[in-house]
Amino acid sequence: MTDIAFLGDPAIKAQALTRLRSHVAAGTFVIFPAWEDGKANVIGALVEADDKQAFADQYGYPIAFTTALEMIVNAFRAVPAAQDFVGALLERTPVGADLSRVVPQVLDYLLERPDVATLTARHVELEICRCSVLALHQRAIAGETPDRKEWKSARLAAVATSDTITDDAMARLAGLIVEAAAWPATMRTVLHDTLGACGRLEIQQMMDVMGWTDADESRVFKIREQAEVDGRMAELEGLDRVLALLDADDPELARGFRERLEQFGKLGDFYRTVGWKVIDLSEQAPLAASTRENVA
Amino acid sequence: MRNATEQDFDDIVMNNDKPVLVDFWAPWCGPCKALAPTLDELAEEYAEEMEIVKVDIEANPALATRFGVRGIPLLMVVKDGAEQARTFGTLSRSRLDAFVEANVGAA
Repeated sequence: MTDIAFLGDPAIKAQALTRLRSHVAAGTFVIFPAWEDGKANVIGALVEADDKQAFADQYGYPIAFTTALEMIVNAFRAVPAAQDFVGALLERTPVGADLSRVVPQVLDYLLERPDVATLTARHVELEICRCSVLALHQRAIAGETPDRKEWKSARLAAVATSDTITDDAMARLAGLIVEAAAWPATMRTVLHDTLGACGRLEIQQMMDVMGWTDADESRVFKIREQAEVDGRMAELEGLDRVLALLDADDPELARGFRERLEQFGKLGDFYRTVGWKVIDLSEQAPLAASTRENVA
Repeated sequence: MRNATEQDFDDIVMNNDKPVLVDFWAPWCGPCKALAPTLDELAEEYAEEMEIVKVDIEANPALATRFGVRGIPLLMVVKDGAEQARTFGTLSRSRLDAFVEANVGAA
């Protein structure tokens, strides 16, 4: 039963919740690894293996969502927040909900983001590509199944168009989002790749706002690398050492690097928002016909 | 999807009637592992047009040397016994599709 939440069986939902709660109670729920030495992340906790396909098969979540799930859950960073999110996902997904339109709805949301649309609008061809990919997802949401050749044509056009944009880095990043999203929602990596492309755009937007450049990043790397060679401040470790080195060598760079760290700490916001959106959409998804008949 | 070794590479890849997408990988390579499900999908989609063959460079270092493999994952298209194109590193599914489309042809 593809994309039918918990395969329409309340006992499967109960099993999922039991498995999650037992890991939470034992303190073995982790962000990483997926499944090792009794420790488990969202995938491992529910299927007792590092197996996303098994997660999709056993619990009825779309494979494209399952493939992106670790990326979303990892954005919660702290284990308690990740646990709460996974618990909410399971609890708020109704048994028997038809989840087949959740991924196209999320892709539609990502392609309609105002910042993405503003960037694609700078280049007529790219905007046409965004609209054509969006239209395919909207047809899927409406229950149609666009032909595979239509997807391919939209996708190749998007890749070719992105490649023509050589003088506008931000629009090119928006183009990468469009091309990543140009797959039917049944394709396993479509949401993962699209979220990844959105993440890259967000990082660049943040770096632009801060005025932090690749040259700054490179300078930090070189100072750190040199310290590894000459052993400076070896009494310190990790980030503390990097910051101490920067304070000593280049206080202005140190200030910028601290701001970069602070801003990057907020990057997970976007993934978390998408995660909660998936829960909202799953909660609102219609019950599958077979489930409705059983209920009646 | 077949695996090729130093012994059978020429038979499987260079003398293949179809174009071949060679995936140079190693067991310790995380990005190679991440690419594997995508290649599985690609193999199904392009079953008529091409074959995908995997080469473990750890077990077959002479093949890595022969083709100048300096980093993995490395994907190489071989057509009519000659290298047609190569791409290195992680690639989005869309970029991979465009790469195959450009060098192998329509699925």
